[in-house]
Amino acid sequence: MTINLLTTQELYVLSGVFLFTIGLWGTWLHAHYVRKIISLNVMGAGVFLILIALAYRGKDLLPDPLPHALVLTGIVVAVSATALALVIIRRLEDERDE
Amino acid sequence: MNETVFFTGVIALPLLGALLATVWTRQARAIGIAATLGMVLCAGGLLLHVQQHGAVLLAIGGWQAGLGITLYADGLAVLMVLMSALVMFAASVYALKYFGSAQKHTAFWPLWLLLATALSALLLAGDLFNIYVTLELLGISAAALAALGGKREGLVSALRYLVVGLLGSMLYLGGIALLYAAYGTLNLQALATQLQAEPAAWAALLLLFSGLMLKMALFPLHFWLPPAHSNAPAPVSAALSALVVKAAFYLLLRFWLDLFPPVLTPWLANALGVLGAVAVLWGSWSALRAERLKLLAAYSSISQLGYLVMFLPLLVVLEGEARNLLLGGMVAFALTHAFAKASLFLSAGILLQHCGHDRIRELGGTTQRLPLTTFGIALAGIALVGLPPSGAFLGKWYLLDGAFSTSQWWWVIVVVVGSLIASAYVFRLLGHAFGHLKAVERPRVSGMQELPALLLALLATFGLGLGAAGIWPLVADRSGVIP
Amino acid sequence: MDAETLWTLFDLLLIISLAVLALVAVLSGDRRRSIVLFIIFGLLLALVWARLRAPDIALAEVAIGAGLGGALLMATLRRHQQTRDDFRHRPAWLQWSVGLLVMLLGTGMAWSLLLVMDAQPADWRLGAEAFAELDNSGVSNPVTAVLLNFRAWDTLLELAVLLAAILGIKALGKPEPAYVSENAFRDLALWLTPLLVLMAGYILWAGAHAPGGAFQAGALLAAAGIILRLAGKPDGGLPHNETALRLGLALGTAVFLLVALGVILAGNTLLQYPPDQAKWWILLIETAATLSIGMTLTLAFIGGSPTLAKDAA
Repeated sequence: MTINLLTTQELYVLSGVFLFTIGLWGTWLHAHYVRKIISLNVMGAGVFLILIALAYRGKDLLPDPLPHALVLTGIVVAVSATALALVIIRRLEDERDE
Repeated sequence: MNETVFFTGVIALPLLGALLATVWTRQARAIGIAATLGMVLCAGGLLLHVQQHGAVLLAIGGWQAGLGITLYADGLAVLMVLMSALVMFAASVYALKYFGSAQKHTAFWPLWLLLATALSALLLAGDLFNIYVTLELLGISAAALAALGGKREGLVSALRYLVVGLLGSMLYLGGIALLYAAYGTLNLQALATQLQAEPAAWAALLLLFSGLMLKMALFPLHFWLPPAHSNAPAPVSAALSALVVKAAFYLLLRFWLDLFPPVLTPWLANALGVLGAVAVLWGSWSALRAERLKLLAAYSSISQLGYLVMFLPLLVVLEGEARNLLLGGMVAFALTHAFAKASLFLSAGILLQHCGHDRIRELGGTTQRLPLTTFGIALAGIALVGLPPSGAFLGKWYLLDGAFSTSQWWWVIVVVVGSLIASAYVFRLLGHAFGHLKAVERPRVSGMQELPALLLALLATFGLGLGAAGIWPLVADRSGVIP
Repeated sequence: MDAETLWTLFDLLLIISLAVLALVAVLSGDRRRSIVLFIIFGLLLALVWARLRAPDIALAEVAIGAGLGGALLMATLRRHQQTRDDFRHRPAWLQWSVGLLVMLLGTGMAWSLLLVMDAQPADWRLGAEAFAELDNSGVSNPVTAVLLNFRAWDTLLELAVLLAAILGIKALGKPEPAYVSENAFRDLALWLTPLLVLMAGYILWAGAHAPGGAFQAGALLAAAGIILRLAGKPDGGLPHNETALRLGLALGTAVFLLVALGVILAGNTLLQYPPDQAKWWILLIETAATLSIGMTLTLAFIGGSPTLAKDAA
């Protein structure tokens, strides 16, 4: 039972690390800002996944609510920044069209 | 009770001001001035309080640290808070007459006050995740303000600024996840007692520091700074260059001194010092070659932050009194740069408005037209080079002293060469500005705009040069850090 | 096959699909495809949150991450636009060295996290303290207790972040009519909008004891606004009066801040609600926040100003 729990948590934490690194790679290398933003959001999802997986304590135990609150805050902050960045991008593309 | 009022005031006043200015757009200017003035008073009150009673802690909501969030003010923090309040206030007075249209004022003031909120909240935060939220508030409001310039070039650099800031925050957040995993807390003081040299701490250090280095534009992560800082409106440039990058440096310093000592190795410290040294040389060299005054100022910021980073390896090696002297010198240097750089950017804004450009080669006749502004530029230049009586002179003095006493003479070479190049770019600028033109029309100059820049420059030179003695007792006693 | 094996298989399937979707969304050479894959990625992520017993986050992810984030990303696309993005124009050595660096970082993170989890399996960390104080928080949903009470300072500043973003968007001015008015949407909007508003009200109320709260409810309000916009109502249901609009955007942060400061006058410290009234203060803050979040996210989608958008259309 403990071994199984450990692997579940580990599996999700490791996939969080994977998302983080692939997102970092994309943010670094993509030239177009929409793609940078998507990559950044994948990177953020990676950190969130690490945190939520750490909070997970198995199917029968209550999870640690603190990381849940942090991730909720993180999601809202990320979407705020994404929205501002995307509107700047839209504005730049509109100018190019004119 | 007193400290609750000061703590709260220095963060809540600008936030309240931002909300009022959002809704009551017609009175935005008055609200902005009142809020930043209130910040200065609360910051001063907090400083006096810490001077008398030592470091203070506020447990928000009354919850114990760890579960709840704490605000924390020691000498270092209150000096930074007062610095940011003063610069924000001076730049606010300047901004009163800067923007031409009511529309610009409507857009500027709420964001400006949110930036001020973020600065205070960041400098006083005692919790890793809370710092992340303040970093995001800082980054987003700074990028939005940088975009106010409006031109395409300005928008592009604001977008890059925003994305770089986000990347820095994400790296920082990754570091938080590791620390929470390993130590089960987010409180800085609790972490400081628990942190040990182990893989999780190393990885967290790498993530937190690379995030902050990106945000403070430390070489080789500096590429985004010159366009972002030079394309923004003048008061915004002043805040970005004087305060926002310094907030990232402040966190780096705080983690360096309080959090990561068990993990730090001389190798790591020297590697960081080398990055600082390269930043000093590369930044001042680029400033010397800059065509425009605002670009010169931006490149000079890269080099000045490099100096600050060069203090870090010496802080690891030195102990006791020598370390305190060095720390105080560093704070004097940071404060000087904040006032001098803000002053320089405000002056550059005045030149831009009155000459229509800020091309250094064509600044001839400035002395005749704008004597006060030129005087301010000269004083700021003195402070940037690090000549006495500026605070930067004290900073460099103790940096050299520390390098000599630990026989690390290579830092001495960097300081000397960097200062020589700095004097070259400052005198090149002044040489052009003092150039005489025969027929110059006197422009309409508002004292409201020239005065803040001049006062900041005076603060950077004479103010800090003569009043710096107060810094050492404030920063020396850091025993309150770990209860 | 026993239940445990089935769960493990499910986990593996979920993780592999998530990783593949992320990989293709980041690497794909086409922007349009990348955006679509990213939205599906967000929906799958919501499933992961549900699996890891984080229903509050699953709700927020569907509404805010995948839903609103996706809508915002789609709005950057234009008809007949070139959407090929290739990072392969970057020199090969750069691609490889960045790849190597990032892989090293990932390995270091994975290794250190595995060591930590090995040493402290299923640790509570701060969770124990949160549950110990839950009865004094005024709500029974532990996540809401953390967000609106224990760490309310984070949430207050987070609302300020939202405000900064929307003010930045407003300052950019000139919204462009980047939407398609479809008649099919109009009928949908007719019954979907009131339903969404009702659901938002329920989720806000439920947040005190069950998954939900201001952010999820606000996102639902925004969904209603966006659907209205897509159905041909350019203002997305937002007020045309500039002052009313600004008041709405600032309301959440303002009420939060006033409560935070008000309790000081009552002799408490910053953000310390009197325990017996905590429930009502939290509800008041959340209600105001829901309204502001809904308006903010709708306006972010519209691009700054409801009135200008109408004129442009």
